[in-house]
Amino acid sequence: MLSCRGVGKTYRTDRGPVDAVRGIDLDVAAGRYAAMVGRSGSGKSSLMAMIGGLSRPSAGKIVIDGTDIWSLGDDAIAHFRNRRIGYVFQFASLLPTLSTIDNVALPAMLNRNSDNSDSYARAAKLLGDVGLGDHFDAYPSEMSAGEQRRAVIARALINDPLLLLADEPTSDLDEQTESEIMALLLAVNRARGTTLMLVTHNLALAHEAEQVIQIANGAIVP
Amino acid sequence: MSGSSVPRWLLGSIALQNLGRRKARTGLLVVAVAISSAMAFTGTVMMRSIEASMSVGFSRLGADLMVVAQDALTNITPALLTVGPTDQTVDADLIQRANVAGIARSAAQRVFRTERSGFGGHEESVDLISFDPERDFTVQPWIAERLGRAMGPNDVILGAARNLPLGSEIVLFGKPFRVYAQLARTGAGTHERGVFLQSASLIALAPAIQMQTGQWPPMLDPGKVSGFLIELAPGATELQVRFALLSHLTGIKVVTGGSLLTGIRQGLTALLGGALALVALMFGSTAVMVGVLFSAIVTERRNELGLLKAIGARRGQIIGMMVIEAMVATGGGGLIGVIFGALLLRLFERSLIYYLTQMGIPFLWLGTASAFVVAIASVLAATLIGAIGVLVPAWRASRRDAYDLIRGEG
Repeated sequence: MLSCRGVGKTYRTDRGPVDAVRGIDLDVAAGRYAAMVGRSGSGKSSLMAMIGGLSRPSAGKIVIDGTDIWSLGDDAIAHFRNRRIGYVFQFASLLPTLSTIDNVALPAMLNRNSDNSDSYARAAKLLGDVGLGDHFDAYPSEMSAGEQRRAVIARALINDPLLLLADEPTSDLDEQTESEIMALLLAVNRARGTTLMLVTHNLALAHEAEQVIQIANGAIVP
Repeated sequence: MSGSSVPRWLLGSIALQNLGRRKARTGLLVVAVAISSAMAFTGTVMMRSIEASMSVGFSRLGADLMVVAQDALTNITPALLTVGPTDQTVDADLIQRANVAGIARSAAQRVFRTERSGFGGHEESVDLISFDPERDFTVQPWIAERLGRAMGPNDVILGAARNLPLGSEIVLFGKPFRVYAQLARTGAGTHERGVFLQSASLIALAPAIQMQTGQWPPMLDPGKVSGFLIELAPGATELQVRFALLSHLTGIKVVTGGSLLTGIRQGLTALLGGALALVALMFGSTAVMVGVLFSAIVTERRNELGLLKAIGARRGQIIGMMVIEAMVATGGGGLIGVIFGALLLRLFERSLIYYLTQMGIPFLWLGTASAFVVAIASVLAATLIGAIGVLVPAWRASRRDAYDLIRGEG
């Protein structure tokens, strides 16, 4: 489902180029739960961003479900991100000026061929599934961090993605909320068969993963 | 966005709500654009009105120079240069051929004095003066009253000394003409008792004149005219143009009018042009300000834009959202500015203009339709300034990787 070959990322800084990710080869089968672990600054988030179509690699190729994503043009890769990939970021990533249901429905409505009433119906169901059935009209500022993260998971699932990327999704949450969010992500992985890639520096969270990818200094540790 | 309108509405809604998030900043932006827009609207309407008032006042001052055949008679009054009746002619393309710099406008006239036109008393001397309505600037400004339509080939304009009602019929060499308008008093005899008609109409009378008088007046030859009235371009001097004409052409006489009036006219025309340039400059500086402001706004919202890109918003949608936001703010400012400008104009009307009118100085307001066009143009210009100002920062942001935007880089 996911194949990375020779993927590298070099950032240009005032002090010269910095190799954040170096020649990574990686395969993840469809429906798997893979955890990417490593210390802060090891390059795991950079790799995740390249896999998610958010950051262009300096080298290598990333193929998702048979599509070499970085060979696509601007609009095509935006469409690919929209239809095939869901994201849960390590920060509260809801648009503050939209209600919860608008936030969740937005990715579906960005699609040219979407039916808006269907988008809102799906958003309502997903919000119900993540336990926010009574928060449709709430604005992000009116919800707790855990509730916001649930809403983000609902948004990530609105287009029924093949790949769900979660970049340290619980880093700013308390222990109990962290457990709830992780349980929700695993439920999505198991119930829907959505491939889940989790970036974390918490080894305990990676414990349940079917595949653990250890990253250090921008490379996979064998 | 080529699909449903709801995403566009939703992105538009995000844009509007973004404006609401920073009320003070949005308010300042709207006020800045409103001030520019109010100044542009009020300034343009006032200047156009002053220009219209001046064009009546100054065009009545007639020509700056007159070019006639060397032996022709001329009249010079404090207000008006006029060609006197004469058989002397010059070529109709004389001025065009001379191609002299410093001439803003030139108008040809044919003047034919006759006692056998059949108009007026028995063998009364009548000056038939023809002009080209498209190029004329010395006859029509003197019109005191006219019929409510454009002048046609079968119409005549009468000098102030001829008392006939508008719309009445007169006959010249057997051909009927309608009295279209009457001039105000000019002080120039030729004008006072003249009968003015279009050049083609006078030329068309030539065969009838020949039948009546046995001669074909030389100035009725289509290639000839009695003389030219010339208005100088701003900056040009009478001496300069006179010298240039005399050095290019032979057998002509160049008559000059009052140089003081010429100077005033040229100075005020240049001043109006400068004031309009200032308005344009002010709009330009507002566009730069909007651009700088939106560069800061885009930088501040990199995270949000990156997030939108991450969930699948295309570059066009990102740019569109920012452009909507800017256009709403600056368009709103433009509208407020125009409303404020209209109130200012009312204030002028009730104060300064009222006193000018009381003093007998005519002030012609720009027509309502034209003022409305200026208002719409001001709002559109303000809206356009927003769109242009935000375009570069939005375009640059849309090119960045979503991850760079989310991390607050780029």
